[in-house]
Formats: sequence, C-alpha cells, structure tokens
Amino acid sequence: MIVLRIIGIGSPSGDDQAGWLVARELQRMRLIERLPCRTSIIALDRPGVGLLQHLTGVDLLVLVDAMRSGAPPGTIHRIENLQCIEPDRSVSSHGMGVASALELGRALGALPPSVIVYAIECDSMMADSGPTGLVVAAASALAGTIARDLQQKFAVSACPGLAS
Amino acid sequence: MADPPPRASAHGQGRTVQIDVPALARVEGEGALRLRIRDGEIEELALRIYEPPRLFEKALEGRSYEEVPDMVARICGICPVAYQISAVNALENAFGVEVDPWVQTMRRVLYCGEWIESHCLHIHLLAAPDYFGYESAIAMSREHPEVVRRGLRLQGLGNDLIRLLGGRSVHPVSVRVGGFHRAPETADVVAMRRRLQDALSDSEALVRWTAAIAVPSDRQNFVSVALRHDQEYPIHQGYIGADDGLAVGPEDFERQFSEHQLVHSTALASQYRGAGYLVGPLARLNLNRERLPAPLQGLIGEVGPSFPSSNMFNSMFVRAIEVHFAIAEANRLLEHYAPPRAPAVGVTPCASIGYGCSEAPRGLLWHRYRTDAQGRILAARIVPPTSQNQARIEEDLRLSLLSFGLEHSDEDLRLHCEKVIRNYDPCISCATHFLRLTTERL
Repeated sequence: MIVLRIIGIGSPSGDDQAGWLVARELQRMRLIERLPCRTSIIALDRPGVGLLQHLTGVDLLVLVDAMRSGAPPGTIHRIENLQCIEPDRSVSSHGMGVASALELGRALGALPPSVIVYAIECDSMMADSGPTGLVVAAASALAGTIARDLQQKFAVSACPGLAS
Repeated sequence: MADPPPRASAHGQGRTVQIDVPALARVEGEGALRLRIRDGEIEELALRIYEPPRLFEKALEGRSYEEVPDMVARICGICPVAYQISAVNALENAFGVEVDPWVQTMRRVLYCGEWIESHCLHIHLLAAPDYFGYESAIAMSREHPEVVRRGLRLQGLGNDLIRLLGGRSVHPVSVRVGGFHRAPETADVVAMRRRLQDALSDSEALVRWTAAIAVPSDRQNFVSVALRHDQEYPIHQGYIGADDGLAVGPEDFERQFSEHQLVHSTALASQYRGAGYLVGPLARLNLNRERLPAPLQGLIGEVGPSFPSSNMFNSMFVRAIEVHFAIAEANRLLEHYAPPRAPAVGVTPCASIGYGCSEAPRGLLWHRYRTDAQGRILAARIVPPTSQNQARIEEDLRLSLLSFGLEHSDEDLRLHCEKVIRNYDPCISCATHFLRLTTERL
C-alpha cells in the first residue's frame, strides 16, 4: 500500500502558521479515512534538518509551507520540480530552511519518489500573532485543492464534506 | 547572499583588508565581524553581536515563575533545554526547593538529548565541511552521504530523547519549577534505551572519524571556565570552576565575571580577571576530563589529542566525545527507570533572589531572578555562552589570523575567520558562508 504523508510546516508567528492551518483542515475533513493508502497528516514547527526524519518509507510527500516571493498574500504556489527551489544560504544549526533540508535529502537519496510542495504567500509574520484573514482563507482553499487532487490521483469518488 | 566584488587599488605596498560580516536575518543572535588589516598589521577587529536575550530579561518582568521555563525556551531554538534548566535551577534556588533524585536524573537525560542534537548538527552541518573543502553540508553529502547519514541518525536520536522527556523536540514543554509536568511511560523508555545502545557504535565511529581529521595547530593561552561537579561530568548542575583554581557557586558569578558594553556590539561582553575567557565543550573537557568514564578516557588517549588542550580546533573532536558520552550516559541513567509517584515536588514561591546555571552545548549559561512574594519576576538576568565567549573569539581571530598569515588571499582569510568563529559555535556562526569581504589596497 502506498505510504502518503502530508506535512504542514509552520511556527506560531502570524501567517507562518499557514502549513499548520492546512494540516488541521485536512484532519478536520478526515481525509485519512477517505484515501486507499496509508496516510498520515502531521504539523511540524520549523523542523530544519529534522524534516528528513519524517520522510523515511514515504512514497508520496505533500509538503505545505508559508512563502514570501513577492506575490499577493494568500497566493497559492504548487511546486513539483524541486530544482526550482533555491536552497537558502543560511544553512545553520539553528535553522535549516525547508528548501535546504529538501536539497540535503536529495543529496542523501532520502527523498520520497514523489514530492509535491505547496506554499501559501504570507503577509505578517509577527511573533505570537494570529494569521491574517487572507492566509486563513487560502489555507482552507488549499486544503480543498489537496484533497481533490489526492482523490483524483487515487480515483476516489468525492464524499460529502471531504473537499468542500 | 552574494559577496560584492573586491574593491582594490594598486597604490603603494600597503594592503588593507576589510572583512565585514553583515547582520544576518532569521537567526537567533545576529552578528557581524569587521576586520581591517593595514601594512601587515591588524588595525581593527570587532565582533558585533545583536542579541535578543536582553529583551527577554525585560519581557520576563511581571510574569509568574511558572511561565518562565516556557518563555526562556524561546530564546534559542537549538538549546531550549539549557535555558529551561538554568531557569528552574535559579528559581528553585530562590524558593528553597529541593527536587528529588528522579527529577535530577531525568533533567540530565533531557539535557543529554540536547547535547547530542546540537553537537551533531554543528559537526555535520557547519564544522566538518570546512575541513574537507566543501562549501556546505549539502555538497559534502553528495560525496560522503554515509557520514552525514550517520550524523543525522544521531541528531535524530537526540531530538527523540528530548521529545521523550520534554514532550516535543522544539521548545519542549514539560519542564517546570519543582520537576516535570509529566513522566515518560516505561515502555517508551525501554524502547529509547534500545536505540541508545544501538547508537553507541555510531557515536564511537564519529569520535574516531573526527579524530582523524587534520586540524591546524594553533595553541593559544586562555582561561577555561566551566561547571564542575564532584561526582559527574557537569551538564545540568555544578559549581563554577576555572583552570586557575576558581571554584565558586552560581551566586558568586557576578563577583567573578563582569560584563561591559562594547561600542561595536549591542551584546555585553564578559571578562574574568580583566580578560576574555573560554566557555564551551573544550573548556568543559579541559576541566572535567577525569569525570568521564574510564573507557571514554581510554578512547581519547587512543585516538585524540592530549588534554587539556589550548587549540580551539580540537573543539569538533570534543563535541564528538560529548555526543558519545551523552548517549552512554542517557542509557546508563535510564537503566532502572520507573515512573515516580509524582514528577514534581510542591513549590511555595516567596520574595527572594535565586541563581542557577548549567552547561548549554555552547557553554556556561547563567541566570538570576528576583521575585516577589507571589513568585512574580521583578528582575531577570541571563548571561549566555555567546556573550561570554565574545572577547575570546576576538582575541582568537587576531592571533589565528597572524598565525595563519595575513598574506593569504582575501577569500582564504574570510574562510579562515569563519572556521575560527565556528569553533565556538556561537549563534552568529549559523550561516555556512557569512563573511562579506571588501578589500582595499593602498
């Protein structure tokens, strides 16, 4: 059976919670029960290189994070070709970014065969503040998109409350 | 970040090299280095650190003592346990709380997890690529994946050990004044012990691997300062010692060590008897090697340099030694694990002052709190290892550059400065390549 892992990455700082919001929404939708694969949904707080620990034995990884690219806040990005992600140069013992962790995973041959990265363009990343409305709405929409995409991928008919 | 092109002029024999490390965003503890060399002499060398702990000291005022462990854990994402343990040591000192042996043992185990995790990240992501000429750990991974995989396995074990005791590995939440909020299940401890035992071959291999790495021979005179303890290699408790014979309690720290503001830095720099001093793994081992288990002392004698060492480039080897030690120590301490009747003792706050310290992965971390009768924080003071090492790093850079040779290319000087700074594993060493180099030739 295919092992699917959905990971929402974030921190308590404002819109940086985007990945967590998506993970939470997918859990609320009870997506795990609807897919014919071994699915797990987890939320991680800035895992750095520890992200690689969560990729062992995974066939399909769906990663959701916040992003700042200059696009309007709430914009949803979908990245299937990881080569497009430039690892940040501030690789550190304090905080390796997701892009660098994925690059390290690739160098070590530790990435799952299939990886899809979604990112939500964020606005405010104030410490200990809540996410902005645009990002909350985008997270909800992205959860729906991910659910629909996975349903389609695994040819599962839509169920009420799943991708709504 | 891209380095700007060197700026040069060809007038005269004199050569001015100026190395600037710009402020770094998104790292805990932002820093910058400014170096100017004129006519073969170092004209200016100043390490600038912009640190957040001072803001935390103010933010703690008015908060209940119960909030402190979780708040100080936020100061540093890589050594939250150190901040938590120093804080509870200080507050328990303030309130006269005696925690039971179970709590002390579990705090030591928790702290072992942090040493393993922090040291493994530093060795594999930051330090080792320097010595093999790789620009990053990612580049090293492509050619030596087995080495990095081993490092990440050990780092993951450290994370999981923190999670076992702390509830989660980033900003653990179970530490409280008086003990822990919860105790781990016996079955989880048994499973962890199996993993610790399995990891000992990896950690011994790590020790042998770091011992075989050729490092510069750069001996310098400095005073080592670290916790000491009559029975154990100091981690979570002890008295403050130095290799000149100093032996004082945490309450005497401020009488022995002074902090002063530097013009070029927002951090305070510490001095001991009018000079910089070293804290961190090398200082710990210099002062406490006889507290290591005999087999580990034997391994050091077999493969390592001799200690005490005055060569900061031995720091990576010492970190590997401490990883190996921490894995064996956690395994030993968990051998007869049984859940306690209660994971914490009762605490009655009072108006008081308390002092506490512990050995963060980067060195001595000292806290002082003044509280009111309800246990609210009236004043807090936190002296982290990075600011204690600041003067020593500047002195080391000056001596190391002279020893290395100022005639080297600007790029080589920059890389050497990075390597020297990384020996201390300060927060500012986060970026793998963080020096911005501008050159003037006069």
